[in-house]
Amino acid sequence: MIRRGGAGLLAAFLVLAAVGAFSDQLGLPSFYLILLGSICFWIAQATSWNILSGYSGYFSFGQAAYVGVGAYTTAVLTGRHGVDFFLTVPLAALLCGLLALGVGAVAFRLGSLRGEIFALLTLAVPFILAAFARINASIDGGQGNTVPIPEAADSFGSPQQFQYLLALAVAAVAVAVAYGIQHGRTGSALAAIRDAEDVAEVLGVATFRYKMLAMLISGVLGGVAGSVFALQIGFVTVESVFNLTIPLFVIVMAVLGGRTHWLGPVIGAVLIVTLQDRLSTYGLDAWNSIILGAVLAVLVAFSPDGLYARLRARPLIALGTLVVVTGVLGVLNVWGETLDWLVAGMLAASLLAIVLGSRRTTAAPRAEADEPAVEDEPEVVVSEPGERVAVEPGKVLIECRQVARYFGGVHALEDVTLDIREGELVGLVGPNGSGKTTLVNLLSGAFRPTRGELRVDGRDITRLAPHQIAHVGMARTYQIPRPFDSMTVRDNVAMAIMFGREPLPLRQARPIAERHLATVALDHLADAYPASLNLHQRQLLEMARAIASSPKVLLLDEALAGLNPAEVDNAVRVVRRIHESGITIVIVEHLLRVLNQLATRLVVLDRGSCLADGDPRTVLNDPDVIRVYLGRQAHV
Amino acid sequence: MNVIQAILTGALIGGLYALMATGLSVIWGVLRIINLAHFGLILIGAYLTFQVATSWHLDPILTLVISVPAMFVAGAAIQWLFDRLRLTEFNSLLVSFGLLIIIIQVTSNIWTADFQRMSADVNPYATLSVAVGRLVFPVTTLVAFGLAALVVLGAHLVLRRTFAGRAMRAIAQDRAVAGAFGVDHRRLSVLLGGVVGATAALAGMVFALSNALTPETAFEWFGTVFAVVILGGIGEVVGTFAAGVLVGVLSGVVSAVWSPATAPFVLFSAIILALLVRPQGLFAVGGAR
Repeated sequence: MIRRGGAGLLAAFLVLAAVGAFSDQLGLPSFYLILLGSICFWIAQATSWNILSGYSGYFSFGQAAYVGVGAYTTAVLTGRHGVDFFLTVPLAALLCGLLALGVGAVAFRLGSLRGEIFALLTLAVPFILAAFARINASIDGGQGNTVPIPEAADSFGSPQQFQYLLALAVAAVAVAVAYGIQHGRTGSALAAIRDAEDVAEVLGVATFRYKMLAMLISGVLGGVAGSVFALQIGFVTVESVFNLTIPLFVIVMAVLGGRTHWLGPVIGAVLIVTLQDRLSTYGLDAWNSIILGAVLAVLVAFSPDGLYARLRARPLIALGTLVVVTGVLGVLNVWGETLDWLVAGMLAASLLAIVLGSRRTTAAPRAEADEPAVEDEPEVVVSEPGERVAVEPGKVLIECRQVARYFGGVHALEDVTLDIREGELVGLVGPNGSGKTTLVNLLSGAFRPTRGELRVDGRDITRLAPHQIAHVGMARTYQIPRPFDSMTVRDNVAMAIMFGREPLPLRQARPIAERHLATVALDHLADAYPASLNLHQRQLLEMARAIASSPKVLLLDEALAGLNPAEVDNAVRVVRRIHESGITIVIVEHLLRVLNQLATRLVVLDRGSCLADGDPRTVLNDPDVIRVYLGRQAHV
Repeated sequence: MNVIQAILTGALIGGLYALMATGLSVIWGVLRIINLAHFGLILIGAYLTFQVATSWHLDPILTLVISVPAMFVAGAAIQWLFDRLRLTEFNSLLVSFGLLIIIIQVTSNIWTADFQRMSADVNPYATLSVAVGRLVFPVTTLVAFGLAALVVLGAHLVLRRTFAGRAMRAIAQDRAVAGAFGVDHRRLSVLLGGVVGATAALAGMVFALSNALTPETAFEWFGTVFAVVILGGIGEVVGTFAAGVLVGVLSGVVSAVWSPATAPFVLFSAIILALLVRPQGLFAVGGAR
C-alpha cells in the first residue's frame, strides 16, 4: 500500500514532467503550461499549509507570510541586485524556515495557546511583514520588482516550460514530503497532537518538538514555492504576494480536499485553480472570492472531512461520472472547450461523491465495531496468574518531598511527603477537593509543584516535561477517557509503544499492541474506532495504552468511575493483572470496598495534606478517616 | 508637548478600536463564536453611512437611522445561521472567514475597490476640531471616544443589571446548565447578534467620518482589533475599552517618538508579551466569561 502510493506519485511526476518537456511536440498551447504551473504552485502551498495545519490541527492563517518572504527574497535579489535565481531559492527557504521557527517558538510557548489564538497570531504575521515592506521602500525600491528569467531557462525550452517544470519539481517535493511524513513517525505524532495533545505528551510524544518540526517544514516548502512563484508571476509587489486571499485559498483547498491525507490538498488545489481559471475566462472574476468564501463556509459546516474520504468511498462512481460528463460534453461539443468539459466533469464527480458518500462514510468504518459496542456484559477477564516479574521489594520508586501546589489562593496540596515502593498497589483516597487528582497531575507533569521535590526511580522530575517523565517510566490514565479518535483501538495502543521508553516503528508496535489489548480483554475490538466503544471499554483502552509504554509506575485516575458492578469487577481483575505483571500502581478511587480488596496500602488525603497512610484495614478503621468521610456526627 | 498630544490623540483613537472590538469580544465570550464577519458588518456600516450621506445629503451621524436597523437585522441573521449550524468555536472562525470574504467581494462589486471618501460638504465633522490650550482634538475622534464609552457603559450595565444580561452571563459560563434552568439560548443569541450588529454600524459610521473607505480596510482592522479583544480579556467589555485606549496610546506614542513604521511591531510584541504574562487578558477580572 505504502509502496504503491510512492510509485504512483513518481509515475505522475514523470508523466507531468514529460508533458512539460515535450509540450511543443504534443502541440500543447503555452496557456496550458501556465495553468499547470499555477496548479503546481497551489499544490505546493496547500501541501505546505497542510503539513502543519492539517496534520497537527493548528490552523495557520499566515501562509501569505511564506509566499511573501519567498517571493520578495527572489524578486529583490534577482531584480535589484542581479543575484542568480538559483542562489535566491535556498536563501528564501532559509528565511522562511527562520520565520516559521520564530513564530512557532513564541506561539507554542504560550501556556494558554488554543487553536483560535494560534490562528489569530499567524494572521497578524503577514500583516506586519507587509506593512514593513511597504513602509521601508529601500527594500524593494517602492515600485515592485521585475524578476528576470534566469539564463539556465534556455536549456529547458521556452520560459513557460521552464517555470512549469520548476513549479512541478517544487510541488512534487512538497507532496513527497507530505507523503513521507504521513507514513512515518512524525505523521503519527502530529495526528496524536491533533486528536488530544496533552494525552500525546503524557504518552511520551515530544509535542513541542514535533510542532516545531512541522512548522519548519511548512515554512521551508512555502518559501521555496513562493520563490518560484516570483518567477511565475514575473513582477512582484507587496499586494500580489502578501495577500490575504492566499491563506483563504490554501485553507479552502485543504478543507475541500481533506486535511488528514497527503492527497487532500492536491485534489483541492486542482479543483479550485481550474475552476478559478474558468471563472476568469468568462469574465466572472468578481464572483471568484464569493464562490470561494461560500465553498469554505458550506464545507466546514456540512462536510468537514473533505473530498478525499468521499472519493475513496466511491472511487468508481466518481471516476465514471468524470469520464461520462466530460465525454458527453466533448462528443456533443457544447459549452465551451476541453477545459470546460473537464471542470464540469470534476465538479459533477465531486458533488456526487459528497452527496452519496455522506451516508456511507459515517457508517463504514464503524460498521464492524458497532456489534460489540452494544454488548451489555463486559468481556470477563479470566483471573489467571500473569507472568509475575521478580520485584525487588522495598526499592523506593516515587518520592514526594514536601510537595505543595497552589492555584492562586487555593492550596490544593500542602507539604505532602510520600514514598511509594516498587511492587505496591497504593490506593489514593480522600473526599472531593482533597488534592488526589492534583497529585496525579503533578506526578505526570501536567502541572509543576509550587514547592517541593518529586523523584521517580531516583530521578528528579520536578522540572521535566510530561513526555520526559513518561520516558522515566510514568504512565497515567484519565478519569474521562481521552482516546485518539482518528486512530483504531490498536493504533491507539501502538502510539504508546512508538513513543514509549523503547520506541519501535509502527509496524513492529502493532503486534505488541495486540498483546496489551489482550491483557485488558479488548483484543477483539482492535480494528474498531474509539467512538464505537462504551465507557468501560474506553477505560480499558486507557489502561492498555498506559501499560504499552512499559512504565514502572501506573497512575489510574478514577478508572472505575461510572461503571456498573459487573464492569467494576472486571476492571478490578484487569488492574490486578497489570499489577501482577510487575507494574507499581497508584489508583485514585472512591469505592472503598474495591480498594479494600485491591490495594496493598491506602493513603488518605484531606484538604491537601496526608491524613493517614498504611495497611487498608488499619486506615479504614482510623477515627480521623471515618470523620473525614462520614462527618463527626456519624462517628459519635 | 508632542508626546502629550500623541498620548491624548491615541487614547481618543483607541475609542474606535474599542468600539469595533466590544461586539466581537462579547460574542466570543458569551456565545463562543469568533465572528470575523463582524468586520464585514463594520465595513458595510461604513459604506452605508458614506452612501446615504452622499446621495441624500444627510448628516453623517443621522445616517445611523438607516444603518443601525440594517446592521441589527444582518447581525441577528448571521447569529441565527451560526446557531442553526451548531458550529464549534474553531469552525465558527472558518465559516465567518468565508462570510467575510464574501462581504468584502460584494462591497467591492458595489462600491469598487477604489478609495471613497465623503466630500467636505456632506461631512462637516472631518475638518472640525476642538482646541484646549495648545492641544488639538479632531471632533471625529471625540465622537468615536464618546460612542465607545456609551456602548461599553451600556453593555456593562445590561450585562450586570438586567435579566437578559444575567442570562447571557449564565450562557457564557455553561450553556447546557443555563438551558436547563430555562434560559432560551436561541432567542438571546439572536438578540445579542442584532445588538452587536448595531454596534458595528456605529463603528462603521465613526470610521467613515474620518477615513477614506476601501473594502480591503476590513483586513487592516484585524490585527489591532484582535489585539484589543485579547488584551482586554475575551468577553470583558470594560477590559476591552481599557485595552482599546491602551493600544491607541501605545501606537500613538510609538508613531510620534519613533516612526509610524514601527508601530505594528511594538504593538504585536506588546500583545505577545501580555499573552505570555497574563494569558487571560490584561484587564480580565473574571466577569462575563
